[in-house]
Amino acid sequence: MLELLIHQILAGLFRASYYWLIASGLTLIFGVTRVINFAHAAFFVLGGYIALTIDSLTGNFWIAVAVATLTIGCIGVAVEMGLIKPLYKIESLYQLLITFAVTLIVNDASKLIWGAASRSMKLPTELAISVKLAGRSYPLFYFFVITIAIIVFIALYIALEKTFWGLKVKSTWRDVTMAQALRINTGRVYTTTFFIGSLLAGFGGASMVAFTPVAPGLGDSLIVTAFVIVVLAGLGNLFGAYVSSIIIGIAESMFLLFIPELDILLIFVIMAAVLLVRPWGLFGER
Amino acid sequence: MGAVWRKIADLLAITFIAVGVTLTFDTFLIYLTTLFLIFTIFALSYNIILGYLKLVSFGHSLFFAAGAYGVALFASWVIPDMLLSFLFGIVLAAVLALIVGYITLRHSQIYFAMLTLAFAMLFYALLVKWRDITGGSDGISGIPRVSTLFSFPTTETYYMFVLGCFIISFIILKLIDVSFIGLIFRALGDNESRFKFLGYNPVKYRILALVVSGTFSGLAGALYALLYRAVTPDVAYWTVAAEPLVMSLLGGSAYFMGPVIGAAVFVGLTTATARLAEIWQLVMGLIIAALLLGARGGILGVMERLWRKRF
Repeated sequence: MLELLIHQILAGLFRASYYWLIASGLTLIFGVTRVINFAHAAFFVLGGYIALTIDSLTGNFWIAVAVATLTIGCIGVAVEMGLIKPLYKIESLYQLLITFAVTLIVNDASKLIWGAASRSMKLPTELAISVKLAGRSYPLFYFFVITIAIIVFIALYIALEKTFWGLKVKSTWRDVTMAQALRINTGRVYTTTFFIGSLLAGFGGASMVAFTPVAPGLGDSLIVTAFVIVVLAGLGNLFGAYVSSIIIGIAESMFLLFIPELDILLIFVIMAAVLLVRPWGLFGER
Repeated sequence: MGAVWRKIADLLAITFIAVGVTLTFDTFLIYLTTLFLIFTIFALSYNIILGYLKLVSFGHSLFFAAGAYGVALFASWVIPDMLLSFLFGIVLAAVLALIVGYITLRHSQIYFAMLTLAFAMLFYALLVKWRDITGGSDGISGIPRVSTLFSFPTTETYYMFVLGCFIISFIILKLIDVSFIGLIFRALGDNESRFKFLGYNPVKYRILALVVSGTFSGLAGALYALLYRAVTPDVAYWTVAAEPLVMSLLGGSAYFMGPVIGAAVFVGLTTATARLAEIWQLVMGLIIAALLLGARGGILGVMERLWRKRF
């Protein structure tokens, strides 16, 4: 029983780390720019596709991940500067709509380029080892992703809390007008945030493609899970999002074990319950 | 007298064209006009949320599908009667709109777009998953267009039913538009703080707007299911909600007639570019992006700027 429990918790943590890699960028971008980037999961999936192509060209997993991460970061910046920037001044409705348009375009474009079938790539040999723990063997990739998620968490923490750049971001986050009055280039802060958020999406997508295949439509279900996590934590609450990723990840993994039919309903039940009791989220401010 | 005629000129024009279409006896044209009428109801109801309240909903595929599946499920599991199943579909959509509104609109409208998407995806997943009841990805076919009092066996006769529903819906939605309640919705969309300051409860009116909108979306969905006499889970996929969104933006979401113009152009475009069906989402995305950056007022907005005259 204990062995099973450990197994489920580990699988849950793996799931949670996967979700965190998506939700972190989404909530970071929202916190700073007040734009809900609908295209975030589409970027994540696009990162996976790009990694696939680079991997088949070079045969090197690490180069593929690096190239895909940077490409998605640049696409994020291009979208922000070309499409979202002209719309910051007017109602938030239009920023939401433009990211939705980007989602539709990215989804169909990747279907056009990479086809409708689901595709995956092989794990590099150094990660394709399994590790024995409590009587069961686990793929090393589990621990790799969990570690990466923790590193991302710590890196974001240090960047936001311990650096001068973080101070600028946080003041933009609090009050844009005041930040501008203090001669903070908020436009650049916005663009940088989009770059970092998209980097995270690209990196997550590129590394996960070695484990779960990508297919058109994957982004649609991922963005829903990411939204639920972000709403659960309270919008824009970055570190709360890590906790709610873990809650969702472990809850999913546990429920799949005991009541497999409920897997889709589960996150919605959690979400609806939280929204009815605390509409501002678990860690949000009222 | 002249003022009255001007007020109902839009309805008269559409009815005139719609009746004119039947005189051609061209089945394909009648089918296209049926689609246009259904999507106009859908887009007009969607625009209550987008144009009046200035909220983006991705949950309208849910209400549309609730109407469609309401008809199909009632007809295949309870009584195979067209009128009763039609009414059931509409009521189901209204009830779901109330539940979704109650959960998503209470705190912050930032949540609204994200959460309506989540609910739409949940509904889609349930439709695919509960094979025994919903037929899974095959859906339900053989929905009867027969009731105790009437039946509409052909596309041409069914067209008259759709036209009747359209005229009733159009009148109700137009009355909402010109009445106090339409003014309330617009005021809420324009400035929530001032709205609250006047002593109104924004949450209550947002939920009311969503229920009205969801009900008519459900009506459109029910008509859609009866047109094909079959439903598949595709009608519940969230990208379906993008269609009335594009129609509203295309025509001009600030105008009552915007979604009508948008629906006409949209149905025309989809038919003319049937070869692009594979990349239709890409085309829609490009249209939305172009409209947002170039012409946020839509077709009517551009015309207004050209002629300096309000439509």
